[in-house]
Amino acid sequence: MNATRSSPKVLKETKDSIRVDFQRTSKWTRFKLKYFNAAFLGHMVFVIFRTVLLIGISYVILYPFFSKISSSFMSREDFVDVTVKLIPKYPTLDTYKAIIRDNYYIEALINTTILSVFCGLVQTFICSLIGYGFAKFRFRGSGIIFLLVIFTMVVPHNTLQLSMFMKFRYFDVLGILKFLGGGVIPSFKVLGFTSINLNNSYWPLALLSLSGLAFKNGLYIFMMRQFYRGVPDELEESAYIDGSDVFRTFLTIIIPLSVPMMITLFLFAFSWQWTDDFYTNVFFTTEGLKLMPDVIAVPKSLDTDYAAQNLYVAAIRNTCGLMILFPLIIVYLFCQRYLIQGIERSGITG
Amino acid sequence: MNKTETIKAAPVKKYKKVASLDKKKARAGWLFVLPFLLGFVIIYLPIVFDSIRYSFNKIIILPGGGYMLEFVGWENYQEALFVDPSFVRTLTSGIQQLLLDIPAIVIFALFMAVLLNQDMFGRAAFRAIFFVPVILSTGLIAAIDEGNIMLDYMEDTSSSIETGSNQNTVAEIISVTDIGWLFNSMAVGTELVEYVTSMINNIYNVINRSGVQMLIFLAGLQSISPAIYESCSIDGASAWETFWKITIPMVSPMILVNAIYTVIDSLTMSTNSVMSYISNVYNQAGGNVVSTAMSWVYFLLVLIIIAAVAGLLSAFVFYQRRD
Repeated sequence: MNATRSSPKVLKETKDSIRVDFQRTSKWTRFKLKYFNAAFLGHMVFVIFRTVLLIGISYVILYPFFSKISSSFMSREDFVDVTVKLIPKYPTLDTYKAIIRDNYYIEALINTTILSVFCGLVQTFICSLIGYGFAKFRFRGSGIIFLLVIFTMVVPHNTLQLSMFMKFRYFDVLGILKFLGGGVIPSFKVLGFTSINLNNSYWPLALLSLSGLAFKNGLYIFMMRQFYRGVPDELEESAYIDGSDVFRTFLTIIIPLSVPMMITLFLFAFSWQWTDDFYTNVFFTTEGLKLMPDVIAVPKSLDTDYAAQNLYVAAIRNTCGLMILFPLIIVYLFCQRYLIQGIERSGITG
Repeated sequence: MNKTETIKAAPVKKYKKVASLDKKKARAGWLFVLPFLLGFVIIYLPIVFDSIRYSFNKIIILPGGGYMLEFVGWENYQEALFVDPSFVRTLTSGIQQLLLDIPAIVIFALFMAVLLNQDMFGRAAFRAIFFVPVILSTGLIAAIDEGNIMLDYMEDTSSSIETGSNQNTVAEIISVTDIGWLFNSMAVGTELVEYVTSMINNIYNVINRSGVQMLIFLAGLQSISPAIYESCSIDGASAWETFWKITIPMVSPMILVNAIYTVIDSLTMSTNSVMSYISNVYNQAGGNVVSTAMSWVYFLLVLIIIAAVAGLLSAFVFYQRRD
């Protein structure tokens, strides 16, 4: 730049190397040129705006959790005290202890873990299978069947609440049990019953998961279909040429490829099953298996009859919610890396 | 005549016993989809069918196990639509509210996805935080948060809570008068101002419901080739122009998907006013069939809304031709 104004001064010159001293623009000028221009300042304003916005929204998301955590340590005296906001004056663990003791927490934790892990794994596998079928194979009727998948997504749960209960209360496959039990021809009676009561067991959810009909499974199938559409066909073709059949190709080539996406699905399926209150209410009565919805109650041993009763009861309910979430938070911390990765690689395109 | 017959016969012999690769693959496709198909035919279809049947009947549970149906025709629907005092009102106001929420959720999700897609410090942490509601604020937790006076109390700075009674203490972030000046020079009605205000005050709800949409938008933004942006900046386009001319058309298929997903998600969400009203009716009488009739009416409305949204938006969707 300044070559014409001041030529470089030669410091030392040998046969192989030459050391010269260039004159640079002064530090202040460089500083000014770099930072005091419209583009940089505009960018800075944008960066500050963005950071403030993101931090603000993060605060909106996280604040309820903070206030729930702090209120879970408060004793009932704290709720009457106007000066107490986030930091309890008389911290106590009584709420936690009472919930664990009175609300079948451990039992519900074990049962829900079994249920959610099973449902999560089965739904992940089944939805990948179905999604792969829709993505890579052209067969007659695939469009109609995919519309049926969308249909299961669109029907509100409440519409099917009653008949779903009835279906599993008097469970029967295509009238076979009714036939064997003598419901059709009274003289032909092999079994002593005409239907099985599957409610209050894991069977209804297991059957729904196995057929890709459980909570939000339509969305999972859709996601997997989009993901597999992005996988190049050449991969499978080369496997077919090497003599592998369709299912072996799926198990040994496609599944390892889609692990990040499947972890994302598992995270969704697991956590939505964990906090589910629709199916558990339909299929499980309060006398049966203890599950997470049974945990939400005011423990008997806590005396809530006090000045700020409503607030205290609300805080206890929130503490129940926190205790339900606690295992989920740990799972999320481990899996959230894959959540972004899996989605990013999926390249979902309409 | 003879000639043609011999020509015809030859290829038939040749391909008789060997199924082509396409046929094999089609068969395999059926096998892959089979779990869903079996479940749909054996479990789901009877459930849907029963549900429609129940909505025209009255159920009497027999003491010995088993139940009896008594056909009543349109009576349940009549009761839902004309006898029940507040169903129609809940339905109209609920659907109106949900329709207003949908653009806010889609726009917010797109905006946040664009922000989270940029290179910046702490991007991974922000992303992790933004997807917290998807995982943690569903089902039971949403049910607890519904009318949670504890949260209102914690957000409220001026204390009027000595009694701790369930007062309307929801903190307002901004009010209509605060942003009125923004819209003063524009020729819009007060409805828009009120809409924007209510959306900002409702931001927690909007954030909670836009997690999956954000993920879908992020995936869409990732799939746009950087070469397009590069050629744009070489041609001297500003970031603003690039957003409107490149980003929006390229993610428009995702806008369609997200709009439909949002409609489905918010209309079938168990915490929305219509759904909770229906489940209240269901729980009142322990399996009241009127609730089934109500939800079929609701389902028909949902279908109409989805068809309208899909039809309206698909006119604006741009599909990039791949070659």
